[in-house]
Amino acid sequence: MMIKERLAELVAESSDGEISAQEALTAGVPLSALGLTSIAQLRLIDAIESEFGVEIDLTDEGVALLDDLDALAGRLAAR
Amino acid sequence: MSADFAACDSGTAPLTWGQRAIWEAIQRTAPDDHYFNFGRVLKVPGRRPAAEVTRALGALAERHGALRTRLGDRAEQRLFAKGRLPVEVVAGDPDKVLDELAATRFDYSAEWPMRVALVADDDAVTHVVLVFCHLAADGLGAEIAVRDLRALILRGHVAGPRAPQPLELAQWQEGAEGRRVAEAAAAHWAEEHRRAPSTMFAEPGGDGSTPPIWRAMLHSPALGLAVRAIAHARHTSTSTVLLAATALLAGRHSGHDTCAMLPIVANRFRRDSLGIVSTLSQEGLFTLDVSGEFTDVLRAAGPAAMRAYRSAYHDPADRTRVVSAESERRGEPVHPNCCFNDMRLADPGPAPCTAAELDKALEDSALEWPMSQDMLNCRFCVHVTGEGVSLTADTRYLPRAAMERYLLDLESLLVETARR
Repeated sequence: MMIKERLAELVAESSDGEISAQEALTAGVPLSALGLTSIAQLRLIDAIESEFGVEIDLTDEGVALLDDLDALAGRLAAR
Repeated sequence: MSADFAACDSGTAPLTWGQRAIWEAIQRTAPDDHYFNFGRVLKVPGRRPAAEVTRALGALAERHGALRTRLGDRAEQRLFAKGRLPVEVVAGDPDKVLDELAATRFDYSAEWPMRVALVADDDAVTHVVLVFCHLAADGLGAEIAVRDLRALILRGHVAGPRAPQPLELAQWQEGAEGRRVAEAAAAHWAEEHRRAPSTMFAEPGGDGSTPPIWRAMLHSPALGLAVRAIAHARHTSTSTVLLAATALLAGRHSGHDTCAMLPIVANRFRRDSLGIVSTLSQEGLFTLDVSGEFTDVLRAAGPAAMRAYRSAYHDPADRTRVVSAESERRGEPVHPNCCFNDMRLADPGPAPCTAAELDKALEDSALEWPMSQDMLNCRFCVHVTGEGVSLTADTRYLPRAAMERYLLDLESLLVETARR
Protein backbone atom coordinates (compact mmCIF):
# COMPACT_ATOMS: atom_id res chain seq x y z
CA MET A 1 0.00 0.00 0.00
CA MET A 2 1.18 3.51 -0.76
CA ILE A 3 2.24 5.60 2.22
CA LYS A 4 -0.42 8.21 1.52
CA GLU A 5 -3.21 5.61 1.53
CA ARG A 6 -1.94 4.20 4.82
CA LEU A 7 -1.79 7.70 6.31
CA ALA A 8 -5.39 8.27 5.22
CA GLU A 9 -6.38 5.10 7.10
CA LEU A 10 -4.58 6.38 10.18
CA VAL A 11 -6.49 9.67 9.87
CA ALA A 12 -9.76 7.71 9.85
CA GLU A 13 -8.67 5.64 12.86
CA SER A 14 -7.41 8.68 14.78
CA SER A 15 -10.63 10.61 14.21
CA ASP A 16 -12.86 7.64 15.14
CA GLY A 17 -14.17 7.67 11.59
CA GLU A 18 -15.26 11.34 11.71
CA ILE A 19 -13.04 11.80 8.67
CA SER A 20 -13.06 8.78 6.34
CA ALA A 21 -9.90 7.57 4.63
CA GLN A 22 -11.50 8.51 1.32
CA GLU A 23 -12.19 12.08 2.46
CA ALA A 24 -8.66 12.44 3.74
CA LEU A 25 -7.28 11.25 0.39
CA THR A 26 -9.43 13.32 -1.93
CA ALA A 27 -10.43 16.46 -0.03
CA GLY A 28 -7.64 18.64 -1.41
CA VAL A 29 -7.82 20.86 1.70
CA PRO A 30 -5.81 20.72 4.94
CA LEU A 31 -6.92 18.03 7.41
CA SER A 32 -7.80 20.73 9.95
CA ALA A 33 -10.31 22.12 7.44
CA LEU A 34 -11.97 18.69 7.47
CA GLY A 35 -12.43 19.06 11.23
CA LEU A 36 -9.48 17.04 12.52
CA THR A 37 -9.57 17.82 16.25
CA SER A 38 -6.54 18.35 18.47
CA ILE A 39 -7.08 14.94 20.11
CA ALA A 40 -7.27 13.25 16.71
CA GLN A 41 -4.15 15.09 15.57
CA LEU A 42 -2.20 13.85 18.60
CA ARG A 43 -3.45 10.30 18.02
CA LEU A 44 -2.30 10.58 14.43
CA ILE A 45 1.14 11.72 15.55
CA ASP A 46 1.43 8.77 17.92
CA ALA A 47 0.23 6.30 15.27
CA ILE A 48 2.70 7.64 12.67
CA GLU A 49 5.57 7.63 15.14
CA SER A 50 4.97 4.04 16.21
CA GLU A 51 4.21 2.72 12.75
CA PHE A 52 6.96 4.49 10.79
CA GLY A 53 9.54 4.61 13.55
CA VAL A 54 10.01 8.37 13.22
CA GLU A 55 9.77 11.20 15.71
CA ILE A 56 7.66 14.16 14.64
CA ASP A 57 9.07 17.44 15.76
CA LEU A 58 6.26 19.70 16.96
CA THR A 59 7.76 22.86 15.51
CA ASP A 60 5.65 25.19 13.35
CA GLU A 61 6.87 23.34 10.24
CA GLY A 62 6.32 19.90 11.79
CA VAL A 63 2.74 20.73 12.71
CA ALA A 64 2.08 22.26 9.27
CA LEU A 65 3.36 19.05 7.69
CA LEU A 66 0.79 17.06 9.66
CA ASP A 67 -1.98 19.01 7.98
CA ASP A 68 -0.94 17.99 4.47
CA LEU A 69 -1.02 14.28 3.58
CA ASP A 70 1.00 14.70 0.36
CA ALA A 71 3.81 16.54 2.08
CA LEU A 72 3.75 14.10 4.97
CA ALA A 73 3.83 11.05 2.70
CA GLY A 74 6.68 12.63 0.75
CA ARG A 75 8.66 13.20 3.92
CA LEU A 76 8.06 9.65 5.16
CA ALA A 77 9.03 8.19 1.77
CA ALA A 78 12.29 10.15 1.80
CA ARG A 79 13.32 9.08 5.30
CA MET B 1 -29.96 -3.23 46.34
CA SER B 2 -26.42 -3.93 45.33
CA ALA B 3 -24.50 -4.85 42.20
CA ASP B 4 -22.21 -7.74 43.11
CA PHE B 5 -18.97 -8.36 41.31
CA ALA B 6 -16.46 -11.21 41.41
CA ALA B 7 -13.47 -10.78 39.13
CA CYS B 8 -10.20 -12.75 39.05
CA ASP B 9 -7.67 -9.96 39.48
CA SER B 10 -6.69 -8.03 42.59
CA GLY B 11 -3.55 -6.34 43.89
CA THR B 12 -1.90 -3.04 44.64
CA ALA B 13 0.18 -0.67 42.51
CA PRO B 14 1.46 2.87 42.75
CA LEU B 15 -1.00 5.53 41.59
CA THR B 16 -0.74 6.29 37.88
CA TRP B 17 0.46 9.74 36.80
CA GLY B 18 -3.13 10.84 36.18
CA GLN B 19 -4.29 9.55 39.55
CA ARG B 20 -1.42 11.26 41.36
CA ALA B 21 -2.20 14.54 39.63
CA ILE B 22 -5.88 14.49 40.54
CA TRP B 23 -5.09 13.27 44.06
CA GLU B 24 -2.88 16.33 44.61
CA ALA B 25 -5.68 18.58 43.34
CA ILE B 26 -8.22 16.82 45.59
CA GLN B 27 -6.03 17.27 48.64
CA ARG B 28 -5.56 20.98 47.90
CA THR B 29 -9.32 21.48 47.44
CA ALA B 30 -10.52 19.49 50.48
CA PRO B 31 -12.98 19.73 52.17
CA ASP B 32 -14.67 21.09 49.00
CA ASP B 33 -13.30 18.21 46.91
CA HIS B 34 -16.78 17.11 45.84
CA TYR B 35 -15.92 19.79 43.22
CA PHE B 36 -14.21 17.01 41.25
CA ASN B 37 -17.15 14.55 41.32
CA PHE B 38 -18.99 14.23 38.06
CA GLY B 39 -21.59 11.94 36.57
CA ARG B 40 -23.39 10.55 33.58
CA VAL B 41 -26.96 9.52 32.93
CA LEU B 42 -27.64 6.48 30.76
CA LYS B 43 -31.11 6.19 29.30
CA VAL B 44 -31.85 2.48 29.55
CA PRO B 45 -32.83 0.89 26.24
CA GLY B 46 -36.16 -0.99 26.36
CA ARG B 47 -37.94 -1.97 29.59
CA ARG B 48 -35.62 -3.73 32.01
CA PRO B 49 -36.17 -4.75 35.63
CA ALA B 50 -33.74 -3.48 38.27
CA ALA B 51 -32.23 -6.95 38.80
CA GLU B 52 -31.14 -7.13 35.17
CA VAL B 53 -29.55 -3.68 35.28
CA THR B 54 -27.68 -4.42 38.52
CA ARG B 55 -26.27 -7.60 36.94
CA ALA B 56 -24.93 -5.47 34.09
CA LEU B 57 -23.43 -3.04 36.64
CA GLY B 58 -21.64 -5.93 38.36
CA ALA B 59 -20.25 -7.08 35.02
CA LEU B 60 -19.13 -3.50 34.30
CA ALA B 61 -17.11 -3.43 37.55
CA GLU B 62 -15.61 -6.82 36.68
CA ARG B 63 -14.54 -5.51 33.26
CA HIS B 64 -12.99 -2.25 34.48
CA GLY B 65 -10.63 -2.53 37.44
CA ALA B 66 -10.88 1.22 38.09
CA LEU B 67 -14.46 0.75 39.34
CA ARG B 68 -13.38 -1.69 42.09
CA THR B 69 -10.25 0.16 43.16
CA ARG B 70 -9.86 2.19 46.34
CA LEU B 71 -7.08 4.30 47.69
CA GLY B 72 -4.68 2.25 49.83
CA ASP B 73 -2.90 3.41 52.97
CA ARG B 74 0.14 4.98 51.36
CA ALA B 75 -1.34 6.78 48.31
CA GLU B 76 -1.41 3.58 46.30
CA GLN B 77 -4.24 1.97 44.38
CA ARG B 78 -5.80 -1.17 45.76
CA LEU B 79 -7.78 -3.38 43.36
CA PHE B 80 -10.38 -5.74 44.85
CA ALA B 81 -11.63 -8.86 43.07
CA LYS B 82 -14.96 -9.09 44.89
CA GLY B 83 -17.43 -6.67 46.38
CA ARG B 84 -20.92 -5.17 46.37
CA LEU B 85 -21.63 -1.82 44.82
CA PRO B 86 -24.56 -0.13 46.61
CA VAL B 87 -27.42 0.71 44.24
CA GLU B 88 -30.28 3.04 45.14
CA VAL B 89 -33.60 2.78 43.36
CA VAL B 90 -35.33 6.16 43.14
CA ALA B 91 -38.01 8.08 41.27
CA GLY B 92 -37.66 11.56 39.80
CA ASP B 93 -35.56 13.69 37.49
CA PRO B 94 -32.28 11.84 36.67
CA ASP B 95 -30.30 15.12 36.49
CA LYS B 96 -31.42 16.06 40.01
CA VAL B 97 -30.56 12.57 41.23
CA LEU B 98 -27.11 13.03 39.71
CA ASP B 99 -26.59 16.37 41.48
CA GLU B 100 -27.58 14.82 44.82
CA LEU B 101 -25.27 11.83 44.38
CA ALA B 102 -22.38 14.11 43.42
CA ALA B 103 -22.90 16.61 46.23
CA THR B 104 -20.74 14.90 48.87
CA ARG B 105 -17.06 14.02 48.77
CA PHE B 106 -16.00 10.41 48.32
CA ASP B 107 -14.41 8.43 51.11
CA TYR B 108 -11.44 7.50 48.93
CA SER B 109 -10.23 4.54 50.96
CA ALA B 110 -13.53 3.10 52.18
CA GLU B 111 -16.04 3.72 49.39
CA TRP B 112 -16.28 2.26 45.87
CA PRO B 113 -15.43 4.99 43.37
CA MET B 114 -18.74 4.87 41.51
CA ARG B 115 -22.10 5.78 43.03
CA VAL B 116 -25.16 4.37 41.32
CA ALA B 117 -28.86 5.17 41.33
CA LEU B 118 -31.52 3.54 39.18
CA VAL B 119 -34.40 5.79 38.24
CA ALA B 120 -37.45 3.54 37.97
CA ASP B 121 -40.93 3.98 36.66
CA ASP B 122 -43.35 1.17 37.66
CA ASP B 123 -41.33 -2.02 37.26
CA ALA B 124 -38.81 -0.81 34.71
CA VAL B 125 -35.58 1.13 35.04
CA THR B 126 -35.64 4.20 32.81
CA HIS B 127 -32.22 5.70 33.64
CA VAL B 128 -28.99 4.68 35.32
CA VAL B 129 -27.29 7.57 37.12
CA LEU B 130 -23.55 7.12 37.66
CA VAL B 131 -21.36 9.46 39.71
CA PHE B 132 -17.62 8.97 39.45
CA CYS B 133 -14.83 9.64 41.87
CA HIS B 134 -12.23 11.51 39.78
CA LEU B 135 -9.50 9.12 41.03
CA ALA B 136 -11.27 6.34 39.08
CA ALA B 137 -12.17 8.06 35.83
CA ASP B 138 -12.02 11.26 33.81
CA GLY B 139 -14.73 12.44 31.41
CA LEU B 140 -13.62 10.21 28.54
CA GLY B 141 -13.14 7.24 30.89
CA ALA B 142 -16.72 7.73 32.09
CA GLU B 143 -17.90 7.73 28.48
CA ILE B 144 -16.31 4.30 28.02
CA ALA B 145 -17.98 3.00 31.19
CA VAL B 146 -21.37 4.26 29.99
CA ARG B 147 -20.88 2.81 26.51
CA ASP B 148 -19.90 -0.58 27.97
CA LEU B 149 -22.76 -0.54 30.47
CA ARG B 150 -25.19 0.01 27.62
CA ALA B 151 -23.70 -2.95 25.72
CA LEU B 152 -23.91 -5.11 28.85
CA ILE B 153 -27.57 -4.20 29.37
CA LEU B 154 -28.42 -4.85 25.71
CA ARG B 155 -26.32 -7.90 24.95
CA GLY B 156 -24.85 -9.17 28.21
CA HIS B 157 -21.29 -8.70 26.96
CA VAL B 158 -18.96 -6.11 25.43
CA ALA B 159 -17.58 -6.95 21.99
CA GLY B 160 -13.84 -6.81 21.39
CA PRO B 161 -10.77 -7.48 23.50
CA ARG B 162 -10.58 -7.11 27.29
CA ALA B 163 -10.21 -3.55 28.50
CA PRO B 164 -6.76 -2.19 29.44
CA GLN B 165 -6.37 -1.95 33.23
CA PRO B 166 -5.02 0.81 35.52
CA LEU B 167 -2.58 -1.56 37.27
CA GLU B 168 -0.97 -2.36 33.91
CA LEU B 169 -0.83 1.34 33.10
CA ALA B 170 0.96 2.03 36.41
CA GLN B 171 3.53 -0.65 35.55
CA TRP B 172 4.09 0.72 32.03
CA GLN B 173 4.60 4.23 33.40
CA GLU B 174 7.27 2.96 35.81
CA GLY B 175 9.01 0.94 33.07
CA ALA B 176 11.61 1.99 30.51
CA GLU B 177 9.17 3.28 27.89
CA GLY B 178 7.17 5.20 30.42
CA ARG B 179 10.32 6.84 31.76
CA ARG B 180 11.36 7.84 28.24
CA VAL B 181 7.99 9.56 27.67
CA ALA B 182 8.20 11.17 31.11
CA GLU B 183 11.69 12.54 30.50
CA ALA B 184 10.72 14.16 27.19
CA ALA B 185 7.75 15.75 28.94
CA ALA B 186 9.90 16.95 31.86
CA ALA B 187 12.26 18.68 29.40
CA HIS B 188 9.29 20.60 27.94
CA TRP B 189 8.08 21.61 31.42
CA ALA B 190 11.54 22.91 32.31
CA GLU B 191 11.90 24.89 29.08
CA GLU B 192 8.41 26.43 29.20
CA HIS B 193 8.75 27.35 32.85
CA ARG B 194 11.81 29.43 32.02
CA ARG B 195 9.70 31.92 30.07
CA ALA B 196 6.45 31.73 32.04
CA PRO B 197 5.47 34.49 34.47
CA SER B 198 5.74 33.23 38.06
CA THR B 199 1.98 33.40 38.28
CA MET B 200 -0.76 34.94 36.16
CA PHE B 201 -3.09 36.53 38.70
CA ALA B 202 -0.59 37.69 41.30
CA GLU B 203 -2.22 40.81 42.71
CA PRO B 204 -4.87 40.48 45.38
CA GLY B 205 -7.71 42.64 44.04
CA GLY B 206 -9.50 43.36 47.29
CA ASP B 207 -11.33 41.35 49.92
CA GLY B 208 -13.15 39.07 47.53
CA SER B 209 -16.69 37.84 47.80
CA THR B 210 -18.11 35.41 50.34
CA PRO B 211 -17.40 32.57 49.76
CA PRO B 212 -14.25 33.46 47.77
CA ILE B 213 -14.63 31.05 44.83
CA TRP B 214 -17.31 31.86 42.23
CA ARG B 215 -18.26 30.54 38.83
CA ALA B 216 -19.68 32.71 36.05
CA MET B 217 -21.22 30.88 33.11
CA LEU B 218 -21.73 32.53 29.75
CA HIS B 219 -24.27 30.86 27.50
CA SER B 220 -23.46 32.30 24.10
CA PRO B 221 -24.55 30.66 20.88
CA ALA B 222 -22.77 33.55 19.09
CA LEU B 223 -19.45 32.63 20.70
CA GLY B 224 -19.95 29.04 19.54
CA LEU B 225 -20.64 30.12 15.96
CA ALA B 226 -17.69 32.52 16.00
CA VAL B 227 -15.26 29.84 17.20
CA ARG B 228 -16.32 27.52 14.37
CA ALA B 229 -16.07 30.32 11.80
CA ILE B 230 -12.57 31.34 12.93
CA ALA B 231 -11.40 27.70 12.90
CA HIS B 232 -12.76 27.43 9.36
CA ALA B 233 -11.15 30.64 8.12
CA ARG B 234 -7.78 30.04 9.82
CA HIS B 235 -7.44 26.29 9.20
CA THR B 236 -7.22 25.27 12.82
CA SER B 237 -9.30 23.37 15.38
CA THR B 238 -12.10 24.94 17.43
CA SER B 239 -10.21 23.93 20.56
CA THR B 240 -7.12 25.89 19.50
CA VAL B 241 -9.26 28.97 18.77
CA LEU B 242 -10.75 28.78 22.28
CA LEU B 243 -7.39 28.18 23.94
CA ALA B 244 -5.72 31.06 22.08
CA ALA B 245 -8.51 33.53 22.86
CA THR B 246 -8.67 32.45 26.50
CA ALA B 247 -4.89 32.84 26.84
CA LEU B 248 -4.75 36.22 25.09
CA LEU B 249 -7.40 37.69 27.38
CA ALA B 250 -5.92 36.07 30.50
CA GLY B 251 -2.70 37.91 29.55
CA ARG B 252 -4.51 41.24 29.00
CA HIS B 253 -6.57 40.98 32.19
CA SER B 254 -3.53 40.13 34.31
CA GLY B 255 -1.04 42.47 32.59
CA HIS B 256 1.31 39.85 31.11
CA ASP B 257 2.70 39.75 27.56
CA THR B 258 3.38 36.04 27.98
CA CYS B 259 0.50 33.92 29.13
CA ALA B 260 1.14 30.70 31.04
CA MET B 261 -1.82 28.40 31.16
CA LEU B 262 -2.42 24.81 32.19
CA PRO B 263 -4.71 23.11 29.68
CA ILE B 264 -6.29 19.90 30.99
CA VAL B 265 -5.33 17.32 28.39
CA ALA B 266 -7.11 14.02 27.76
CA ASN B 267 -3.85 12.04 27.31
CA ARG B 268 -5.67 9.36 25.33
CA PHE B 269 -3.47 9.50 22.30
CA ARG B 270 -1.80 6.10 22.45
CA ARG B 271 -3.70 3.11 21.12
CA ASP B 272 -3.18 1.24 24.41
CA SER B 273 -4.98 3.92 26.42
CA LEU B 274 -8.05 4.44 24.24
CA GLY B 275 -10.41 1.97 25.94
CA ILE B 276 -9.32 2.36 29.56
CA VAL B 277 -11.57 3.53 32.37
CA SER B 278 -9.11 5.55 34.44
CA THR B 279 -8.04 9.13 34.94
CA LEU B 280 -5.54 9.93 32.25
CA SER B 281 -6.26 13.63 31.92
CA GLN B 282 -3.55 15.86 33.35
CA GLU B 283 -2.42 19.43 33.06
CA GLY B 284 -0.01 20.44 30.31
CA LEU B 285 1.97 23.68 30.33
CA PHE B 286 1.17 26.12 27.54
CA THR B 287 2.99 29.43 27.21
CA LEU B 288 2.32 31.95 24.48
CA ASP B 289 3.36 35.48 23.57
CA VAL B 290 -0.02 37.22 23.60
CA SER B 291 1.16 40.80 22.97
CA GLY B 292 0.11 40.86 19.29
CA GLU B 293 -3.10 40.80 17.30
CA PHE B 294 -5.39 37.84 17.92
CA THR B 295 -4.92 36.37 14.45
CA ASP B 296 -1.11 36.35 14.91
CA VAL B 297 -1.44 34.90 18.39
CA LEU B 298 -3.75 32.20 16.98
CA ARG B 299 -1.22 31.24 14.30
CA ALA B 300 1.47 30.62 16.93
CA ALA B 301 -0.99 28.90 19.28
CA GLY B 302 -1.47 25.78 17.12
CA PRO B 303 2.05 24.30 17.35
CA ALA B 304 2.48 25.59 20.92
CA ALA B 305 -0.73 23.79 21.90
CA MET B 306 0.44 20.54 20.32
CA ARG B 307 3.69 20.70 22.30
CA ALA B 308 1.79 21.42 25.52
CA TYR B 309 -0.66 18.57 24.86
CA ARG B 310 2.07 16.06 24.18
CA SER B 311 3.96 16.94 27.35
CA ALA B 312 0.82 16.72 29.49
CA TYR B 313 1.40 12.97 29.76
CA HIS B 314 3.98 13.44 32.50
CA ASP B 315 5.08 12.09 35.86
CA PRO B 316 3.88 14.56 38.54
CA ALA B 317 7.08 13.86 40.51
CA ASP B 318 9.15 15.27 37.60
CA ARG B 319 6.92 18.32 37.47
CA THR B 320 7.33 18.91 41.20
CA ARG B 321 11.10 18.74 40.77
CA VAL B 322 11.08 21.17 37.81
CA VAL B 323 8.77 23.63 39.58
CA SER B 324 10.89 23.59 42.76
CA ALA B 325 14.08 24.23 40.79
CA GLU B 326 12.51 27.15 38.91
CA SER B 327 10.95 28.58 42.08
CA GLU B 328 14.34 28.43 43.79
CA ARG B 329 16.05 30.10 40.83
CA ARG B 330 13.58 33.01 40.97
CA GLY B 331 13.24 33.17 44.73
CA GLU B 332 9.43 33.00 44.54
CA PRO B 333 6.87 30.24 44.00
CA VAL B 334 6.16 29.48 40.34
CA HIS B 335 2.69 28.27 39.34
CA PRO B 336 0.41 29.67 36.61
CA ASN B 337 -2.74 29.33 38.79
CA CYS B 338 -4.56 29.56 35.49
CA CYS B 339 -6.12 26.57 33.72
CA PHE B 340 -8.22 25.73 30.68
CA ASN B 341 -10.43 22.69 30.27
CA ASP B 342 -12.19 22.01 26.98
CA MET B 343 -14.70 19.43 28.21
CA ARG B 344 -16.84 19.28 25.08
CA LEU B 345 -17.56 15.65 24.24
CA ALA B 346 -18.57 16.52 20.70
CA ASP B 347 -16.66 19.09 18.68
CA PRO B 348 -18.99 20.67 16.10
CA GLY B 349 -15.95 21.40 13.92
CA PRO B 350 -15.07 24.34 11.68
CA ALA B 351 -17.91 25.99 9.74
CA PRO B 352 -18.45 29.41 8.17
CA CYS B 353 -21.16 31.79 9.37
CA THR B 354 -22.45 35.20 8.33
CA ALA B 355 -22.45 38.49 10.24
CA ALA B 356 -26.25 38.37 10.28
CA GLU B 357 -26.19 34.94 11.94
CA LEU B 358 -23.78 36.27 14.57
CA ASP B 359 -25.99 39.33 15.23
CA LYS B 360 -29.06 37.19 15.64
CA ALA B 361 -27.28 34.72 17.92
CA LEU B 362 -25.97 37.53 20.15
CA GLU B 363 -29.55 38.23 21.28
CA ASP B 364 -29.50 34.87 23.10
CA SER B 365 -26.39 35.46 25.22
CA ALA B 366 -26.92 35.12 28.97
CA LEU B 367 -24.62 35.12 31.97
CA GLU B 368 -25.34 33.39 35.29
CA TRP B 369 -23.55 32.53 38.55
CA PRO B 370 -24.26 28.85 39.10
CA MET B 371 -21.77 28.00 41.85
CA SER B 372 -19.70 29.31 44.76
CA GLN B 373 -17.53 27.62 47.41
CA ASP B 374 -14.65 28.14 49.86
CA MET B 375 -11.72 26.20 48.49
CA LEU B 376 -10.17 25.63 45.05
CA ASN B 377 -6.68 24.61 43.96
CA CYS B 378 -6.49 27.31 41.28
CA ARG B 379 -7.28 31.04 40.84
CA PHE B 380 -8.58 31.13 37.29
CA CYS B 381 -10.22 28.14 35.54
CA VAL B 382 -11.95 28.32 32.19
CA HIS B 383 -14.24 25.39 31.31
CA VAL B 384 -15.79 24.90 27.89
CA THR B 385 -18.81 22.58 27.70
CA GLY B 386 -21.69 22.10 25.30
CA GLU B 387 -23.59 24.60 27.48
CA GLY B 388 -21.14 27.48 27.19
CA VAL B 389 -17.93 28.89 28.60
CA SER B 390 -17.51 29.32 32.33
CA LEU B 391 -14.91 31.05 34.45
CA THR B 392 -14.35 29.81 38.00
CA ALA B 393 -12.10 32.22 39.84
CA ASP B 394 -10.81 33.26 43.21
CA THR B 395 -12.50 36.63 43.71
CA ARG B 396 -9.63 37.78 45.94
CA TYR B 397 -7.52 37.95 42.76
CA LEU B 398 -10.23 38.60 40.19
CA PRO B 399 -13.41 40.23 41.55
CA ARG B 400 -16.78 39.20 40.20
CA ALA B 401 -17.15 42.32 38.03
CA ALA B 402 -13.81 41.52 36.36
CA MET B 403 -14.84 37.89 35.87
CA GLU B 404 -17.96 39.02 34.07
CA ARG B 405 -15.95 41.48 31.97
CA TYR B 406 -13.50 38.72 31.04
CA LEU B 407 -16.23 36.45 29.65
CA LEU B 408 -17.89 39.32 27.75
CA ASP B 409 -14.49 40.35 26.32
CA LEU B 410 -13.97 36.74 25.21
CA GLU B 411 -17.30 36.79 23.39
CA SER B 412 -16.56 40.16 21.71
CA LEU B 413 -13.03 39.17 20.67
CA LEU B 414 -14.27 35.98 19.00
CA VAL B 415 -17.39 37.49 17.44
CA GLU B 416 -15.51 40.52 16.09
CA THR B 417 -12.77 38.30 14.65
CA ALA B 418 -15.35 36.03 13.01
CA ARG B 419 -17.04 39.04 11.40
CA ARG B 420 -13.86 40.01 9.53
